[in-house]
Amino acid sequence: MELKICHLFPDVLNLYGDRGNIACMRKRLEWRGHTVIVSEVSIGQKLRASDYDLFFIGGGQDFEQEVLLEDLKGEKTAEIKAAIADGKTFLAICGGYQMLGAYYKTWDGQQCDFTGALDLYTIGEKQRMIGNYMFTCEELGGQTVVGFENHSGATFLGSGVRPIGKVLSGYGNNGKDGMEGARYNNVFCTYSHGCLLPKNPVLADHILKTALSRKYGSADLAPLDDAIETAAHDYMAKRLSANA
Amino acid sequence: MRKIRVFFAVLACKLARTAIRLLGRGGTDFPGRLAMKICPDLLGELAKTVTAVIVTGTNGKTTTSRMIEQAFIDSGISYFANKTGANLISGITAEFAVHSTATGKCKYTHAVIESDEAAFKQVGKLVNPKAVVVTNVFRDQLDRYGEVTHTLNNIRIGLQGCKNAVVCLNADDSLSASLAEELPNEILFYGVNVPIYKSRVEEVSDAPYCIKCKSEYVYDYVTYGHLGGYRCPHCGYARPKPQIAVEDVKNSDAEHSEVVISMDSRQFETNIALPGGYNIYNAVSAMAAGKAMGLDPDTVNSALSQFDCGFGRMEKFDIRGHSLRMILIKNPAGCNQVLNFLTDAAEPFLFVACLNDRAFDGKDISWIWDVDFERLVEMGDKLSGVIVSGIRADDMATRFKYAGVPAEKLRVIKDYSRLCEACLAQDKPVFIMPTYTAMLDLRGTISKNYGFKNYWEK
Repeated sequence: MELKICHLFPDVLNLYGDRGNIACMRKRLEWRGHTVIVSEVSIGQKLRASDYDLFFIGGGQDFEQEVLLEDLKGEKTAEIKAAIADGKTFLAICGGYQMLGAYYKTWDGQQCDFTGALDLYTIGEKQRMIGNYMFTCEELGGQTVVGFENHSGATFLGSGVRPIGKVLSGYGNNGKDGMEGARYNNVFCTYSHGCLLPKNPVLADHILKTALSRKYGSADLAPLDDAIETAAHDYMAKRLSANA
Repeated sequence: MRKIRVFFAVLACKLARTAIRLLGRGGTDFPGRLAMKICPDLLGELAKTVTAVIVTGTNGKTTTSRMIEQAFIDSGISYFANKTGANLISGITAEFAVHSTATGKCKYTHAVIESDEAAFKQVGKLVNPKAVVVTNVFRDQLDRYGEVTHTLNNIRIGLQGCKNAVVCLNADDSLSASLAEELPNEILFYGVNVPIYKSRVEEVSDAPYCIKCKSEYVYDYVTYGHLGGYRCPHCGYARPKPQIAVEDVKNSDAEHSEVVISMDSRQFETNIALPGGYNIYNAVSAMAAGKAMGLDPDTVNSALSQFDCGFGRMEKFDIRGHSLRMILIKNPAGCNQVLNFLTDAAEPFLFVACLNDRAFDGKDISWIWDVDFERLVEMGDKLSGVIVSGIRADDMATRFKYAGVPAEKLRVIKDYSRLCEACLAQDKPVFIMPTYTAMLDLRGTISKNYGFKNYWEK
């Protein structure tokens, strides 16, 4: 099997370790004998969403995220929306997650319009939400996901999307409603970097399976020895449970 | 009343520090905070009679400070320095207090002060230095410092308080060089006019877009990270011409670098006693600092070949005939530069990474995924093995697994005594890369088990 991954804005949305998610997906497919092609599409470059099976969007610094707004106004937004409607798989983290929403309003009332691909919006808070955190994922059979969040935006979901998980420790979307991330069609959104996929191999495989199944009707992912990854996950899960 | 406050603050600080050392620890944070409680602007009071140079910026502060110190020693200047990584306002206050008499008069005429970027906001104004060196601005522990523009802003505020200082800025860093424009101070730009490495690790640029107009920079050359000959095609912002410049890199090997530095229409043949391209920057910034402080340039130049390496900066331990080198890591840019150096190594070596996630290390460890460890793996047999340790050893092991280190070459050893023994049980030189608190812990073990001095005894 072959998966074509599109890394969107890798030079702008690359905050702390996001490229590790790409490395993780690549390795986990290659270890099972599948072929992976990763392409990078950045500002000013044409995006033909139909060329890809899976899209990754990371997080960026505010300064660099502003650079993006102009580029997003054009046809990229239409391509992204079409790909989501078409059931293509997306993994969007932190800034990338916010970008798929309708807008970001700063705490002093300035509004930046985003793609509006998903029914959600973000309000800037004065106090940043920072730290290791953990949530449970129902679609992973209650498996916990650990990561690190660092955001001043509080995200709120509309009725058209559902959360990816429930917060066990930390802030999650907004520090208020106990929800983390967003799910819609085959779109996965979360605030979790840290980096997310390597130490959450169950989630990594679930996302890869989603993309492969969409393309081939089924996914063939042989089990791997995840002892090292699991140790990293379990260490943080244990530490956060002890503090909870 | 004021004199009495200063007296008690200095006394309390000295007593607290002595007490802590008697307990066998090396902290300077608590004594400083205690003194500041008694006299909040103690630092300003104690610094009045001292001619100081402050070094701030993301990477290279400690090494640059050590170079300037050596230049002070060789110039016969009476000085003190905040040696033990005590670079927050509390630690700096404590250093001034312990080097002052009870009435608040400093025993030395000069000081070399390394300041944390965020602390510099206050430290600059209180110390009122004669010179400031800004080494560079890179993306650092985001949970502590926030975004690079935030760090830049902290340094800007600090510089605004340094009314009497000559400011030395890195011409090759588009971020910190931009600080020059708003300052009335005399500015000395330093930089490297030529590329340093034949090949570099793959790095994410921390500043691809113009700080002024957000257009993408064009580079004539890159030395490392986002440093080099940048210019903005849209607004015209560009690398300023440095007054103190590395014109040629003649040799850069595992032990040292030989470069040619031009300054005041003279050419200096400079031998830098530490390897690595980032130390070429530290050296040229120390030359700039020397000029700003009015030192003899030949003395500064020869000091660069003799200075003692900083705490955990390529520090060498010889234990039972084995060579262990310790290199502190903090952020992806610094870590990538160490890899640039290691991939030039001629002999096979054992690589050790110790990752902690306490506040001083940075609580967010995701930056390890931005370091090009894949390059180590490409070295094949020259990388004899990898051992990971520290609080987040398992995350580090995961990183190396995905970098392609084969399972038989990768070991997790969390206990530092066992880690040291594993290093001594093989015959290759060892490079240990610990984060800050992991370095303190590991040094503690080395001094206890093998009889090296604790850092506060040096």
